[in-house]
Amino acid sequence: MSYGSISQEAHECMAQAMNHLGGKSNSGEGGELPERYGTSLNSAIKQVASGRFGVTREYLLSAQEIQIKMAQGAKPGEGGHLPGAKVTDSVAKTRCSTPGISLISPPPHHDIYSIEDLAELIYDLQCANEQAKITVKLVSSAGVGTIASGVAKAGAGGILISGGEGGTGAAPMSSVHHAGLPWEIGLAEAHQVLCRNRLRQKVTLETDGKLMTGHDVMVALLLGAEEFGFATAPLITMGCRMMRVCHLGTCPFGIATQNPELRKRFIGKPEYVERFMLFIAEQMRRIMAKLGARTVNELVGRSDLLKMKPDAKLDLSDLIGFARNTHFQPDAKHDFHLSERTDARLFQDHVQLMTTDRAFGTMLKGERHIQAQGCGGQSFGAFLPKGQQITLYGVANDYLGKGLSGGTIAVCPPVDSVWKPENTLIGNVALYGATSGQAFIAGMAGERFAVRNSGVWAVVEGVGDHGCEYMTGGRVAVLGTVGDNFAAGMSGGIAWVLDEKDDLQDRMNPGHVKIYTVTSNQAGELQRLLQMHELATGSKKAKEILAHFDAYLSKFKAVISDEYLSFLKGA
Amino acid sequence: MGKATGFMEYSRTENPYRDARERLKDFDDLHLSQPADARRCQAGRCMDCGVPFCQSDFGCPLHNLIPEWNDLLYQDQEKEALERLLLTAPFPEFTGRVCPALCEKACNLADNGVTNRDNELYLIETGFANGWIQPRIPAVHTGKKIAVVGSGPAGLAAADLLNQLGHTVTVMERADRPGGLLMYGIPNMKLPKEIIVRRIHLMEAEGISFLLNTSATPDLLHAYDAVLLCCGSRKPRSLQVERMDADGKYFAVDYLTAATQSVLSGTAPAVTAQGKHVVVVGGGDTGNDCVGTALRQGCQSVVQLEMMPKAPENRPAGNPWPTWPRILRTDYGQVEAISLQGSDPRVYETTVKSIQVNTENRITAMETVRLQKQPDGKLTPMPGTEQTLPCDLMLIAAGFIGCEEETLSRFSLSADARGRLLPKDGSHHLEGKLFSAGDMRNGQSLVVRALADGRSAAKEIHDWLRGRKG
Repeated sequence: MSYGSISQEAHECMAQAMNHLGGKSNSGEGGELPERYGTSLNSAIKQVASGRFGVTREYLLSAQEIQIKMAQGAKPGEGGHLPGAKVTDSVAKTRCSTPGISLISPPPHHDIYSIEDLAELIYDLQCANEQAKITVKLVSSAGVGTIASGVAKAGAGGILISGGEGGTGAAPMSSVHHAGLPWEIGLAEAHQVLCRNRLRQKVTLETDGKLMTGHDVMVALLLGAEEFGFATAPLITMGCRMMRVCHLGTCPFGIATQNPELRKRFIGKPEYVERFMLFIAEQMRRIMAKLGARTVNELVGRSDLLKMKPDAKLDLSDLIGFARNTHFQPDAKHDFHLSERTDARLFQDHVQLMTTDRAFGTMLKGERHIQAQGCGGQSFGAFLPKGQQITLYGVANDYLGKGLSGGTIAVCPPVDSVWKPENTLIGNVALYGATSGQAFIAGMAGERFAVRNSGVWAVVEGVGDHGCEYMTGGRVAVLGTVGDNFAAGMSGGIAWVLDEKDDLQDRMNPGHVKIYTVTSNQAGELQRLLQMHELATGSKKAKEILAHFDAYLSKFKAVISDEYLSFLKGA
Repeated sequence: MGKATGFMEYSRTENPYRDARERLKDFDDLHLSQPADARRCQAGRCMDCGVPFCQSDFGCPLHNLIPEWNDLLYQDQEKEALERLLLTAPFPEFTGRVCPALCEKACNLADNGVTNRDNELYLIETGFANGWIQPRIPAVHTGKKIAVVGSGPAGLAAADLLNQLGHTVTVMERADRPGGLLMYGIPNMKLPKEIIVRRIHLMEAEGISFLLNTSATPDLLHAYDAVLLCCGSRKPRSLQVERMDADGKYFAVDYLTAATQSVLSGTAPAVTAQGKHVVVVGGGDTGNDCVGTALRQGCQSVVQLEMMPKAPENRPAGNPWPTWPRILRTDYGQVEAISLQGSDPRVYETTVKSIQVNTENRITAMETVRLQKQPDGKLTPMPGTEQTLPCDLMLIAAGFIGCEEETLSRFSLSADARGRLLPKDGSHHLEGKLFSAGDMRNGQSLVVRALADGRSAAKEIHDWLRGRKG
C-alpha cells in the first residue's frame, strides 16, 4: 500500500508501529516523503515497482530492504492505478509526477524481460545500496518454484510469494474474485523447489495475502515461510471498515484518501497496530508451545506437522509435498563481489570500460566527474546522484541512466571512429524511471528512450520505437527521427522533436498527447538545453541548430499531454 | 453507490415531526414527509460499503438490500428501488414507521447514518400512490392448507410468504381487528391504522383468509396441514407491591388497546386518562406510547418511572459501533410532555414502593422510592428517599415475560424458563404440525425481528411440507 493509495497518516502510522516493534513496513510503490528518511517514520522496506514512482537514490539508501515488485498477488498481470483525484501536491512530489494526473503502473518492468534482466536490476539496486537486502515479490502461481529458483540464483536476498486473497478495495472486482492463487500453493512449491535445488538457505522466504491470525502465520511457517506480510488486518486496526471505495478517494475513515477533510477522520494509532501484531505473536507462541517448538527457524518447512481436517473434501497433500526444515543461513547469502568493481576502486578521473562493467558509476563516492572510454555495460550510470557526472566516449548497452537521480551522463561517439549519425550509440530503455538530472546523447538511442522519465532533461539525436513512453515529467529534446508509438501513455513533461521529415504525427501515439508549436518560453528552455548538450558532447548537430536557431525552431514540435498542458497553464 | 461524495455534501435529515402542541390535538400521524429531491439526496449519502453493516446481523434483521435500493432511489429509479426493497421487506409501510432502524446505527456513517427508514417509507408510499402495489396472486397452488394463529407482524409476514409460495393460508385472530400489537399495541399516531387495513385488504386480495374474533383450538386446526403459532409474548410483567387489584391500575397494552379502539370507533374509551394524574411505570417505548396517549386524552399530569439510571448522551465504552447505542433518547411522548409540563416526565432510578387507595379501592396516590445499584448489579431501595405522587391512573409498561399460560395449555405446550416456545434445535418446529414464530418463540422484541422470524418460519414450513412424503 503506497503513499498515495493511502493517506500520509495511515502510511506513517504503519511505519511507526513496525519500527517500534522491530518489524518492517513496506513503503509500497509510491515513494516516500524525504523528511521521513532516517526517522521513526521511515519505511524499512522500499519498493521498486514498474512505475518506479519516487525511486530516487535517497529513497533507495533509506532502505534496509529493497523489494522489486514483479506483480501483485490480488491482481497479477495488472499494474497499479492511482486516480488523479488522489494525486495531490504532496503525493505528486513524492512520486515525481504532476498533481491531478492519474498514474498507471505498467504491467511489466521495462527493464525486465528475462530472468537475466531481473538479475541485472537486483545487481543495480545492490550497487545503489550495498547494505540493503534485495528481495523480489512474486505471485503465487503454478511454476513459481522455477521462478523463485531463478531469483535466488540471480542473487536476491529474499523472495516474497504473494497470494491472491489480499488486495485493497481498489483492486478491480473481477481480479478480486477471479485472479490470483492462494499463497499456500505458491509458498509450498517455492519452498520445495528451492530446497531441491539447494537454494533455500540463500534466501528468506516471505508470504502475504490475507494473513489475519497467528494460525495463518503458523500454516505459512510450516509450509516454508520465515517472514510474513500483513496489510488488510493492520489497516482494520487503524479503522478501515472495508468500504471498498479506495479507488474513489472518499474513504470515510481517512485511510485510502488524500482529501484533507476525510484525513481528519483518521483515528488509527501505532499502538493499535502494535497490539494486533503482539496478539498474532502470542497466538503463534501458543501454537508453537503445543508443537513443542522453541524457535520459528526450527519449524520452517515442517509441513509434516500440518494435519488434514477430518471433514476436508480435497486432499492437498501432493501440493504440500515433503517436509524439509531448511531456512535462510546468513553465510549462504549471495556474494556480488562489489568491492572488486571498477568504480569501487577508482581513484583517477579517467577509466577504460568494457561491457562487463555493469552499472558503472553507481558505486562512485563523493562529487566526481569521470571521463570514460570504451563500452559501458548494462545500466551505465544507474541511480547516479547529484554531484556526479560521467562522460563516456564510446557506446553503452541497455538501461543507461536507469533511475538517474540528479547526476549527469554524457555519451559521445568514440574518438577517432568512423561514426555515422544513424548508428546507434546507446541501447534500449535508457533513463527508465529517472527522476532528475541530465543526459546528453550525441547519437541515436535504442527503443523506449526515457520511458517513465519523471524529471530528467535529456537531449538525444534520434530514438527508436516507443520513445518517451509513460513519461510523467522532465524534458526530452530529440534532434532526429523518432520511431513508432512515440509518447504512448505520456502524461507529463514535454518532448521537443526536430521533425525535419514532418512525419511525427504518423509516428506518435495520440492517446494522451497532441502536437503543439514551441512557445517562446519553451524556446528559451530548449536553447539552453542544446547549449548544454553541445558543451557536454561537442555535438555537431547541436552546433548547427544553435547557429541557426530561429530557422530550426519552426521545425521543432512540442509533444504535450492535455493534462500536463492544463497543469502548465494553472501553474 | 448513491453519490460517491454524498455523505460529505449532504447532512442527515430525518422526516420532521409535526409541532408537539399541534399534534397533541389529535391521534393522527406524527410525521411529515420530505419532498422527492430531498429524499434522493438522503439516499445519495449511502456509500455502498464493501461490507454493508446495515445489512449484517448488527443491522437489519431482514437483511434488506439497503445500499442497492438507496442507489436506485438516488438514480431516480423509484420503481426498481421498491422492487429491490420488497425482495426482503414484506411490509415497508410498517417498518418505515415503527422500526428503530438498527441499520442506521450500524451504518458506517455511525451517528449520522443514512436515513434508511425514511427512505423505505418514501419508496413504499410512492409505490402505493402510483399504483405499483397490486395484489400478487400466486401462480401455482400446492393444495396445502396452513393456519397462522395470531395476526401480529410475525403472523402476517409468515402468511404473506406462505401464500406467495402457493399454500392456502388462513390467519386466525382473537381480536376484532387483525394486526396484533401493530393494531392495538402501537398507538395510531405512530402507525395509523388505515395503513394496516390497506395491507390486510391487499393480503385478502392475494388469497389469504382472515378469521377474526376467533380463538384457535386444536379441534379447529385439525383440518390444516401445518399450524404456525404467532401468539406473541403477551404476559405482562407486574409489580411486586400490595393492592395490585386496585381500580385505576392497568397494563399498558390494555390501556393502549382501549385508546385505539376509541379512536377507530369514535366512541369514548373504556379507560381514559382525561383529567387524571397518570403514572407510567416503565421507561421504554411502550411507556412512552402511554405518555403520548395520556396527554392526548387530556391527563392532568404524567410521570414516567424508570428503574435504570439516565442513559448517557453518547455511546459509553463497551457499547461501540455497530452495536445498538444505549444512549438517552427522548421520544415523541416525552417531547410532548416537556412542551406541556415544562420538564421531562421521566424519573430515573425510581420504582413504586406502595399504592394508596381510597375506601372504594381506587388508587389515589403512590409512594415511590429511589433505587441504588449494588456492586453485584442488583437495584435495591434506598431508605429515606420515599416520595408520594398523586396518582389516579397507574399504567404498567414493564415489559412482557412470555406467552400466556392459557394459550400454552390450550395446545398442551410448555414454554422454557423465559416463557418462550423456542425449540431446542433452534428451528421453528415444535411438534407434529405445530410451528412457532415471533415473540412467542423468541420473547418480546422488535417488529422487524418478528417479520424476519415469520419469514424464516414460513420457509421452514414450506421445506417441511415439501419434504414430507405423501
